[in-house]
Amino acid sequence: MGLDKQIDVKKSTSRLFVRAPGHGSSLRHIRTVITDLARQVGFPEDEVAKIEMAVDEACSNVVEHAYNANRDWSWKHRDPDIRLTIHTEADRLIIQISDNGKRFDFAAYRPGNIVDRIRAMRSGGYGIAIMRKFMDEVEYKSDDQTGNTIRLVKYLKKS
Amino acid sequence: MKDFRIEQESCGNIQLIRLQGSLDMYSFPRLESQLQTLFQQGRYCLMLDCSQLDYIGSAGLGALIGFAKQAREHDGDLKLLRVPERIYKIVELLGFTKVLQVYNTEETAIASFQKP
Repeated sequence: MGLDKQIDVKKSTSRLFVRAPGHGSSLRHIRTVITDLARQVGFPEDEVAKIEMAVDEACSNVVEHAYNANRDWSWKHRDPDIRLTIHTEADRLIIQISDNGKRFDFAAYRPGNIVDRIRAMRSGGYGIAIMRKFMDEVEYKSDDQTGNTIRLVKYLKKS
Repeated sequence: MKDFRIEQESCGNIQLIRLQGSLDMYSFPRLESQLQTLFQQGRYCLMLDCSQLDYIGSAGLGALIGFAKQAREHDGDLKLLRVPERIYKIVELLGFTKVLQVYNTEETAIASFQKP
């Protein structure tokens, strides 16, 4: 797959595990893994592109916000990595993205309407709105055992 | 998966910037730096040739809007050229084409700068 040595990809019978440094240079490798897998699962290319962007937005938030050098991470003693666990159930692809960085108040965050932000020519704040637009389920949780995890789900819609 | 590359050339008073690879939150600062330099030189008419791009994330798209806004405040603009279909569908679906103009040929993009 041509991944950097720092990117660790493991596969069990039912799940794919990816562990990468929480750094921007990991993003394109993660996108490659995700797009390859989404195609294998059977998503059409338009949906693969949406899944790719949603996962990239989630991982970019980890790099930019959770591991921002100017902030205190929640769990400084752990590796600043990004961990993805990907599996399928009967009709859906489930991607969990975990980090050890700064907690985020996901429930309270209201990104607003994407088109309104675009019309106002706002330069940022699109990531979570894009995840919600492109995925069927988006959930976030944070606890001391596993760190922060965002769970993205995309349904395979049979035509 | 191509490495991110930027090439620049002048077409009269319009700057043509050719992009290759992925424009994500990691690579975008390189383009941002180049665009800021052009603005400091008073060059506000910019075309970004996206034909060799394989990905654009929201960090890149959002920042391009910001640069387009700045350019328009100085009677210029930032326009996208030859956006691959896979990327165009996403950009259009999200609504970015409501504020970013996209052209299929260099000639039409250049002509659009010359309209009153």
